[in-house]
Amino acid sequence: MPENVQATSAVPATTIRARMKAPEWGALLIFLLAEIVFFTINSPYFLSWPNIVNIITALSITGILAAGGTILLIAGQFDLSVGSGTAFVALMFAIAAQSLGIMPAVGVAVLVGVGIGMLNGFLVTVVGVNALITTLGTLAIFRGLTLSIGGASSVRITGFDWAIARPFLDIPLSAVLFLVIAVGIAVLLSRTVFGRTIYAIGANENAARLVGIRTKKTLFLGFVISGVCMAITGLVSASQLGSTSGTTGTGLELAVVTAIILGGTSLKGGTGSMFGTVLGLLIVGVLNNGMTLMNINSTWQQVAAGTLLILAVSFDQIRQRFIRA
Amino acid sequence: MSAPTFLSVRGIRKSFGSVKVLHGVDLDLPAGSVTALLGENGAGKSTFVRILAGDHHADEGNIEIDGAPISFRSVAQSREAGIRLIAQEIADAPTLSVAENITLGAVPNRLGFVDYGAMRSIAQRALDSLGADLQLDAPVSSLRLGERQIVEIARATAGASRCLIFDEPTAALSDAETKRLFALIERMRSRGVAILYITHRLDEVFAIADRVCVLRDGRVSLDAKVAEVDQTAVVTAMVGRAVASHQDHHVYAETGAARLVEVRGLTSDSFFNIDVDVAPGEIVGIYGKVGSGVPELAGAIFGAVPHASGDILVDGKPVIFRHPSEAIAQGFGFLPADRASEGLLRPRSVAENLAAPSWRRLARGAFVSRRIETSAFGRWHKTLKVRSRPDGAERIATLSGGNQQKVLLGRWLEAGSKLLLLVEPTRGVDVGARQEIYQVLRDLARQGHGILIASSDYEDITEAATRAIVMVRGQMVAHLPQNEISTARLTEAAGGGAHA
Repeated sequence: MPENVQATSAVPATTIRARMKAPEWGALLIFLLAEIVFFTINSPYFLSWPNIVNIITALSITGILAAGGTILLIAGQFDLSVGSGTAFVALMFAIAAQSLGIMPAVGVAVLVGVGIGMLNGFLVTVVGVNALITTLGTLAIFRGLTLSIGGASSVRITGFDWAIARPFLDIPLSAVLFLVIAVGIAVLLSRTVFGRTIYAIGANENAARLVGIRTKKTLFLGFVISGVCMAITGLVSASQLGSTSGTTGTGLELAVVTAIILGGTSLKGGTGSMFGTVLGLLIVGVLNNGMTLMNINSTWQQVAAGTLLILAVSFDQIRQRFIRA
Repeated sequence: MSAPTFLSVRGIRKSFGSVKVLHGVDLDLPAGSVTALLGENGAGKSTFVRILAGDHHADEGNIEIDGAPISFRSVAQSREAGIRLIAQEIADAPTLSVAENITLGAVPNRLGFVDYGAMRSIAQRALDSLGADLQLDAPVSSLRLGERQIVEIARATAGASRCLIFDEPTAALSDAETKRLFALIERMRSRGVAILYITHRLDEVFAIADRVCVLRDGRVSLDAKVAEVDQTAVVTAMVGRAVASHQDHHVYAETGAARLVEVRGLTSDSFFNIDVDVAPGEIVGIYGKVGSGVPELAGAIFGAVPHASGDILVDGKPVIFRHPSEAIAQGFGFLPADRASEGLLRPRSVAENLAAPSWRRLARGAFVSRRIETSAFGRWHKTLKVRSRPDGAERIATLSGGNQQKVLLGRWLEAGSKLLLLVEPTRGVDVGARQEIYQVLRDLARQGHGILIASSDYEDITEAATRAIVMVRGQMVAHLPQNEISTARLTEAAGGGAHA
């Protein structure tokens, strides 16, 4: 499927801008290939189909959130509330499922996710609070609500295991869902009027307004899309685990931001792509998977992911210093 | 010239990656003398002065101060040698006070503790020498652009500097402020300071400079005493060919066609009771210095900034624009004053920048492709003489100021705007591109566009307008028909009101 995303993003490959960008993606691709070669040599199991499926499945929740996050970061915005939002959605779903049944509970989950997105969007675009501060606040609020309402123990969910079903090619539905959303967001960003306006707002919000773009409406929509992503990941998480607890989704916001930045989206906004984010996700995902196969303690995986992020961004800074005239 | 040479530069070369910016620049800066440095955008002026300021390092070449070779590895070293750069972009600390900003980088102290008394007296003296009346404790963020520029100049002149480099200092200054700056430059010169003055404005060269030096394509193409050259020689040295002077004046003939916009009694914080009409084929020039309310008026007509009262009429009916998109739907197009902060989508391509207001119309369903944007750019690329790839695929940030401005103008041609509201259309645009923009505007008017130019640069009005309005402190003080538009009339009207 990465081939698919590449196809949608390969159009600008004929342009100078893309040629200037090519080294950036190129470096990420080469790094990913180097990882793959290294782990293939060190573990015979690494390059097997079940393990490849494992890697993508392990990425699916982070990846779905990163899809919404890529839209926001390109527009120059942030959403740090995705991890606690996921947990809150899962809890609301579990409670609703007990009294209303599964299908109405799915509706509740979607409403809760959209509601979180609308709250973030309202605070940022209407009230005018900085996105970093807004979502840092909602991160704390929804984590706290999840812990207070759900209590210390986990809440069981039964009869909701669709995400681990493997209807074809032995790929779980959660991974399929991630791939479909990634392609969808890639097309949305690179091919639609909405995508163009997102890049324009990130490049220069003032200028975007003066060419007639409804910047606030568009940003609001961006936060709602991020909320929809939380609704989906809340449901995927509930289905995968068969339960939910106060610690569900802890730290997801950092994993999401790491993947997006690693994939070349600038913190300043206006540049980046879903393809880059998928590369960023794969680099972290392959690293974690390979280190697990080599029996390296998972605590070291965090050290490795953090180091990688700093190296990638430093490399990009140095590269830009050479390009800039 | 008998004055000793303070700074002597030989064979400076500088490249960024594969882009060669300077190919061997030689220049002498005599003490007690003003040297004007001119050149089109991209000629290498900024790079050159940044090397002198220690901000960039030359790849090759020698710099001598008082005849002794020196090599700057940092801004601090250049400052130590007595060189101060007043950069084009304001680089102050907005939350700090005027006094703190003026002494920034050389804070007077006793044993490491700030000496606030000394700070205030240093700052006050620097402001006095500029004839500026600013509150020492006010945060600079509360000042207007021109005043912040004054603070920057005060900072550079507060210490015992031996060489001052001004990079287009008057762009944000009012007439009175410019006069006081020139007086300060005179005093500095008589004190033996070597001055390098970068400008786009030929009148300033002939007003204050002793020598004129022109950079073209990274080389010095003219280095002469001002007394020995005329304007034509300077312009030819800048663009490398003779620039056709403006013989092609567009004359507006009343057609009886309906006005594109009628403004009645428009009032806000910045302007009062303004009436103005624009008809197809007309180029209405509104001239006013900083503080005149001219750019705010253009913004208010477009709906970019709110107005308090008054009416904007299209087809005789009042319209209220709550958002620029509503003005665009009525056929209005708007070129903002500050290209960087309000116009450009810097990281995006040239074609994307041009197509931005038209995405919805160009889209097939919800989809826009790069191909659609490229063909939109192709429609205007030749008309506007944009120097870029024919498909406009490079980032707009890589183009020069003049070419960027043409692309931003092209936005509204592609969008089909009938009324163009242009604020400072040639700010930061070099001589050659300036003439091309005027030509495009005249052609557009002939084709039936109505154009309103809001500018503090009288050349915009004298070159392009078919009638002119002068504003002073938010009020209209003069109406001039085309045959009465002249630099003298404009400056007289703009100055007369200000001191009334």
